[in-house]
Amino acid sequence: MIRVLAVRGLATVQDAGRPGRMHQGVPSGGALVAEQLALANEAVGNAPGEAGIEVFGAISLAADEPVLVADDGSGARRLEPGEAWSVACAGARVRYLAVRGGIDVLRVLGGRGTLLSGGFGGHEGRPLQRGDALRVGQLPQGPSASRGLSSAGARVAAIRALDGTVAIRVVPGPDAERFAPGALDVLLGSPFEVAVQSDRVGVRLRGPLLPRADGDATISAPMVRGAIQVPPSGEPIVLGPDHPTTGGYPVLATVVRADFGALMARPLGTSVRFSR
Amino acid sequence: MTVVLEAFGDAALRARLPEGAPSRAVFESLRALPGVVDAVVTERHALVTFDPAAPPAGVGEAIEGALSGPTPAAAPRAHAIAVRYDGADLDEVSRAAGLSREEVIARHTQGAYVVAAIGFVPGFAYLRGLDPRLVLPRRATPRPRVPAGSVAIAGPYSGVYPLASPGGWHLLGSALDAVLFDPCSGATLALGDRVTFVERR
Repeated sequence: MIRVLAVRGLATVQDAGRPGRMHQGVPSGGALVAEQLALANEAVGNAPGEAGIEVFGAISLAADEPVLVADDGSGARRLEPGEAWSVACAGARVRYLAVRGGIDVLRVLGGRGTLLSGGFGGHEGRPLQRGDALRVGQLPQGPSASRGLSSAGARVAAIRALDGTVAIRVVPGPDAERFAPGALDVLLGSPFEVAVQSDRVGVRLRGPLLPRADGDATISAPMVRGAIQVPPSGEPIVLGPDHPTTGGYPVLATVVRADFGALMARPLGTSVRFSR
Repeated sequence: MTVVLEAFGDAALRARLPEGAPSRAVFESLRALPGVVDAVVTERHALVTFDPAAPPAGVGEAIEGALSGPTPAAAPRAHAIAVRYDGADLDEVSRAAGLSREEVIARHTQGAYVVAAIGFVPGFAYLRGLDPRLVLPRRATPRPRVPAGSVAIAGPYSGVYPLASPGGWHLLGSALDAVLFDPCSGATLALGDRVTFVERR
């Protein structure tokens, strides 16, 4: 068992998500920055998408028995019983904690991650709190199970996701005609700031307003992660892993999949630029 | 007809659908395509998501096929949902519609509803078939928390909140013994299913 000693901020169990359920209104969810979760998991010999702990803020844990642990900011180490293991974001948007064997919560609708808006998945469908006890899974036996070294690919991907200077690539549309001419140029030509209201549902951006040409659609349309939705205020919201699966606001452009983690990893208050 | 596919990022394609498209048949034809991860069909759009390294082939043709021919779709299921009409907005709705409370309830229970889309939160179904006299804009200020099981209306839709969530619809009542979303089995209602509301006092 892994026991939660203290949480500051928000900590949830997250994995690689539950794709394939959007037609039931269930977003794919999963780690906000999958590259960071993969790095922590590989450091302890887990598969990249194994369930770990995602923390905004700080968390302290202890283990009942010796276990190999890692967070994505430092390498693997052995946690002895009774020893406290504390991880803080310290400037990063989120951190991931991995335990060899993974956090063994029930698989719900194809995933072990917590969907807070649905109140299911993870540990009792809710954020972790002091006193929670989490089971540790068993690693499948096999040649790869003993490795426990992050692959070069995982390291490169995590470094890129955490590089706060790269421009986030987008594909224009699909609702470009519902914006005033020049709106895309504003998006691509100006820096935006990650607003404090951002969460797993969406990253809210402050910056020049993106002028719209029409009102909200009366009929909702399907949405995807990375969609840059613009409400009537003109301040964009980039949909995150826990986004509503449908929405009525027009989408000016959509973040490419390879850059989704890099956008989600931007700390609150920092600057972001978009490119084509 | 030719379906135009729009890029929705590099991991999804979206198509516009004509009014009255057979949404269940479109959904099933898209979901059957190799390489499609998620398929979502709403009243005027169809969406597929995929791995950008392996986009599915035949998306447009699948939609065209469902639109042009009688595609065998799974038979829609019928659901009768028992409702206690004790909603916080019942009086406001009757004032706005110019009907008595009893007439509002009667018109709401007389509707034969069809699941036109699923979205917003897990298991939330947009039900078409609302009496035109009950068509009202959303509340000016959404409630931060609507209780699970609330039966509500807004615009041309009725719906039941599967989970407690924020919401801007007008609350007419509470669904009794209805599970709209179950974390083990997923959403109860599916595209094209038929729904009726039965008053329970």
